[in-house]
Amino acid sequence: MRWLAALLCLLALPAWARDELHLYNWNNYISDETVQRFERECRCKVVQDYYSDNEEMLAKLAAGATGYDLIVPTGNALEALIRSNALRPIDKSLLPNLKNIRPEYLNTPFDPGNRYSVPYATTVTLIGYNQEKMRELGLPTDTWAVIFEPRYLQKVKGRVTVLDSQRELLAAALKYLGYSANDTDEAHWKQARDLIIRAKPYWAAFNASSYIKELTIGNIWLAHGYSNDMFQAQQDARRAGRRFTIGYGIPREGGVLSLDSMVLHKSGKHPDLAHRFINFMLEGKNASELTNLIGSGNPNAAALPYVMPELAANPAVFPDAEHLKKLEMLRDLDRHQRRVLNRIWTEIKVR
Amino acid sequence: MATPAFADLLKFRLHKNLTRWLVSGPPFLFLLLFFLAPSLIMVLASFRYPGEFGGLAPLRDANPAVLQGLTLETYRFFFSDVIYAEIFFKSFGMALATTLACLVMAYPLALLIARSPRKHRDLMVLLVILPFASNFLVRVYAWMIILGPQSAFAHAIGSALELFGITPVPLLFSPVAVLIGMIYVHLPFMILPLYTNLEKHDPVLLDAAQDLGANAWRRFWDVTFPLSLPGIFAGSALVFIPVLGMFAIPDILGGTRDMLIGNLIKEQFLGVRDWPFGATLSIMLTLMVLAWAGFSMWLARKWSHSHA
Repeated sequence: MRWLAALLCLLALPAWARDELHLYNWNNYISDETVQRFERECRCKVVQDYYSDNEEMLAKLAAGATGYDLIVPTGNALEALIRSNALRPIDKSLLPNLKNIRPEYLNTPFDPGNRYSVPYATTVTLIGYNQEKMRELGLPTDTWAVIFEPRYLQKVKGRVTVLDSQRELLAAALKYLGYSANDTDEAHWKQARDLIIRAKPYWAAFNASSYIKELTIGNIWLAHGYSNDMFQAQQDARRAGRRFTIGYGIPREGGVLSLDSMVLHKSGKHPDLAHRFINFMLEGKNASELTNLIGSGNPNAAALPYVMPELAANPAVFPDAEHLKKLEMLRDLDRHQRRVLNRIWTEIKVR
Repeated sequence: MATPAFADLLKFRLHKNLTRWLVSGPPFLFLLLFFLAPSLIMVLASFRYPGEFGGLAPLRDANPAVLQGLTLETYRFFFSDVIYAEIFFKSFGMALATTLACLVMAYPLALLIARSPRKHRDLMVLLVILPFASNFLVRVYAWMIILGPQSAFAHAIGSALELFGITPVPLLFSPVAVLIGMIYVHLPFMILPLYTNLEKHDPVLLDAAQDLGANAWRRFWDVTFPLSLPGIFAGSALVFIPVLGMFAIPDILGGTRDMLIGNLIKEQFLGVRDWPFGATLSIMLTLMVLAWAGFSMWLARKWSHSHA
């Protein structure tokens, strides 16, 4: 009889093998609790893969990676994915919670009518700073000038980092010069390049991620970076009991708004489960957990009641209409523009 | 009488050849497959158009508006600005400086290990290899802490500089930090081939030189050093070439001017979606390394002839 039981167990095995949702997401871009709750609710397993850069994700997909049900690209990468015909249209009838998304985050130029994408979270590229040092040195914290003008920079020489990103740094310079972040006029790019090269001797490094740590330790006093990274630096500094606080804000000239959206990749095998996941993530409480975890902005109106008050009141995380007007989402560049920018960037890096 | 002997010899030869092929065949095929084939793919990629969203544009597309086929455009782009040559030049300088520094530091150490009593040698070699037990990125990150402005090391260097009336300079995010990182990571690759070479030297040679009246200095320069040249060449190649392509160390420890060729190539693939340009840069790098290797071989041969 025992062998029969064993055989039955063996036969039952496939029934235990639960459905798997393959999520290709940014590093640390979903709360573990949220994932666990979804796994319990759907009796499935969420398999996660991570990237730290849109370009990295696009490169991996271009190299032939498959099997992802859901990806969370930023606007310009979303545009790239749509135009290369890599995405599956979403079925809005399966997403009753879509009504929770604020209208200002819907119908973006990247995906008119939201045929393919559902807003997930937002980030603003801005300035983070050591509040005490800035006050002590009498430096303004509400303008890009503090990153680009030698008259301010000389007081913080070697204590400044900027993002190691062609588009983001150029956008900051363009904004400071009074142009659009999406300006593609080569003359304006060169003007931005000269501004950057003039400011560069005062900067410590082009930095993609370690500025969080450097701000927290106190090695760096001023950083061009993402709002959620600044939130993390702020929390870390507080937890470590530092004698300074990290502040961050949107410069008055404006900045870059990144909207990350959930999309269905064509290679995914579980579109139904993916829709269920999207609808689950659109519930206010579930959506709020990410904001509370990493300090990202949230396009979900129903999430606000669950968000920590200090984040909800911060215009750098939840920009009001006034701030939103000054923020721009980066559009993708074409092949020719990418090469021109590429050379300008090399000049910036070498000179 | 001679025929069977000849047959035996033939058999022996055949057998030997077969064995040789069996032993060297798999690694040869491996190299052919995983070095030559990717290199050829690179060459092809460098003549294609970049895909709009990464990767390469299709070689052939039904839509005539889509860029397709092969082009020299990318090479023209490379040669259209002196800035890329500048980066190559800088990277070669970095590789050369690292190689020389490693040589100067590794030689005495390798000599020390080689001349130590046998029972200590294994332990010493083990200590040289030990850093490999932890991930290279972790070790480079450790240097971020060591060189950071708040570290005891940076304070010590700063006050030492102040004694000489020099204003302390930040160590982290500077070319010096990159050089230190490069030397640190590649030092074992210089020590090991040098040690393997020096260990084989017959001590009798040094005794003979001493008997002929050579002092310690001459014994080194006329006996040890020339005999160790193969080790020096092997070690130098093992340091020089990886440093040339290194991108992680400048990324982590470098400042605002420390872009090297490796960073530029990496950026083409992971940052700006221009694979053809990345391929072109890689080919240029390979060509320059080959030219450099050929030049040093020619130099070495000439040098050893003139000293023969």
